[in-house]
Amino acid sequence: MAGAPLYILVCSGEHEKLQMAAMMASVGAVSERPVEVFVSMNAIFAFARDATPDRRYRGDAFSQLMKDKHAPDVLVLLRQGKEFGDLKIWACSMALDVAGLEMDHLVEELFDGPLGLTKFLSDAEAGQLVTL
Amino acid sequence: MSERQVIDARGAFCPGPLMELIAALRHAAIGDELEVWSTDKGSAADIPAWIKKVHHELVSINEADGHWSIVIRKAK
Repeated sequence: MAGAPLYILVCSGEHEKLQMAAMMASVGAVSERPVEVFVSMNAIFAFARDATPDRRYRGDAFSQLMKDKHAPDVLVLLRQGKEFGDLKIWACSMALDVAGLEMDHLVEELFDGPLGLTKFLSDAEAGQLVTL
Repeated sequence: MSERQVIDARGAFCPGPLMELIAALRHAAIGDELEVWSTDKGSAADIPAWIKKVHHELVSINEADGHWSIVIRKAK
């Protein structure tokens, strides 16, 4: 039986928080929990299609450690979550508008589409909401 | 049942060993056994918890030669 859905709202562009979001999303999805991730605010810039790894993952001491030791990549983890489980990833429509971004400015084959916060929060009433 | 497949995930950080195991399981047949090697300290609890959650079978778990060896039987 599937567990309660997990909803992850990611606002921070910090590598450490993006990493935890990706870990939670992928592990939750492969553990037979439906997972939805809502990417907003500074986090949206980490998913820019043309970003170099240094631009994509900005953080503090632990970020550098993860880069040096080749911790699993955020995008790879999210793609594994989608491939092996029920994981949906949404781009915040407000963040897209404010940043002047279109969906085709974001990394390919990752997002399920743009979404508003109202719909995400409404859906999240059915499960557990985590904010990073 | 085919020969037991070994997944050498030593050196991979969480949740890498679990993801490598899941990727291999997708290509295994029901009843097949897979053995994952991991140096990630969390794997000793994480992988058995995942096996229980998704209803596969934990065959054995041992620590030797500086890594964990976890054997799983695909049950579905």
